[in-house]
Amino acid sequence: MNPKRCAACKYLRRRCPKDCIFSPYFPPNDPAKFACIHRIYGAGNVSKMLQQLPEQTRAEAVESLCFEAKCRVDDPVYGCVGIISLLQTQIQNTQNELAKVQAEVAVAQTKLSQNQNSDFM
Amino acid sequence: MSGSGINPSSSGGGGGGGPCGACKFLRRKCVAGCIFAPYFDSEQGAAHFAAVHKVFGASNVSKLLLHVPEHKRPDAVVSICFEAQARLRDPIYGCVSHIVSLQQQVLSLQTELSYLQAHLATLELPQPQPPAVPVSSSGSPLQALSITDLPTISPSVYDLSSIFEPVMSSTWAMQQQPRPSDHLFGLPSSSSIGGGGDLQALAREFIHGGQMPSQPSPGTSGSASTMIKRE
Repeated sequence: MNPKRCAACKYLRRRCPKDCIFSPYFPPNDPAKFACIHRIYGAGNVSKMLQQLPEQTRAEAVESLCFEAKCRVDDPVYGCVGIISLLQTQIQNTQNELAKVQAEVAVAQTKLSQNQNSDFM
Repeated sequence: MSGSGINPSSSGGGGGGGPCGACKFLRRKCVAGCIFAPYFDSEQGAAHFAAVHKVFGASNVSKLLLHVPEHKRPDAVVSICFEAQARLRDPIYGCVSHIVSLQQQVLSLQTELSYLQAHLATLELPQPQPPAVPVSSSGSPLQALSITDLPTISPSVYDLSSIFEPVMSSTWAMQQQPRPSDHLFGLPSSSSIGGGGDLQALAREFIHGGQMPSQPSPGTSGSASTMIKRE
């Protein structure tokens, strides 16, 4: 048994085995991380998801799950889909602004070349 | 997602309509007031619920929905289904990869926008010859910006500040370049310039005050422009 239980096993109030699937990713000093993930996904689902992944990719998977769980806790209706929507709006606004500035550049370039031509004459 | 199994407007299950998609999947009796029934119809709803159940679990989703006001539940269900399907498609990153990709797109567009705005600013700089400058003035005209001096717009170019800085600073320097003090003396004291005595007083200030600017300074250019305006 792992003398120092991981945050997951502490939260679940169980023994932390040596091969605990959670222990590499949920250190005991950060209990909130597992609490958030457990609230949204549940320990069983997270365990199944991690087991299906190669070991070298599990850390990244845990981080992305934590991110999504936190987004869902902060915004129970939209979760991280709200962030996606915001970014899409931002992209649209920036594209509109870009089109506007491109038109202004075209006008300014035309004016400049006209002025240069008239000066030359 | 509309018309694909998620039907926010359908009535609750448990009646003559058969079990909802969630209860069908869970193989349980669909009771009246089933929380999933309004959102997962019995046809395609089961497939959607399968993804949701695999990622979140039925009880977690049920709890999530109970904490959301009823009028917001359709949106919540849609976003939960989206996240579940994204997670099944990409078990490592889920929809976070989509977020990262969008963020990069935003950054790229903002960089391009800044580039164009700077480009526009250089194009809109005032013309080298202000209208009040006399024809006989021997001041060196500002070097007009040439479009060919600027790099072609390329989305892959990110560090553009170093490209524009020399152009901007040289243009600014030329704009701010003061007329040399002897040029001030060269201006006729009377003739077309009104208040010539003031000009000579200013010239004396330059000499005796030791203010012989070799570097551009706003004060100097301001004085020069004041003198120019009096012509």
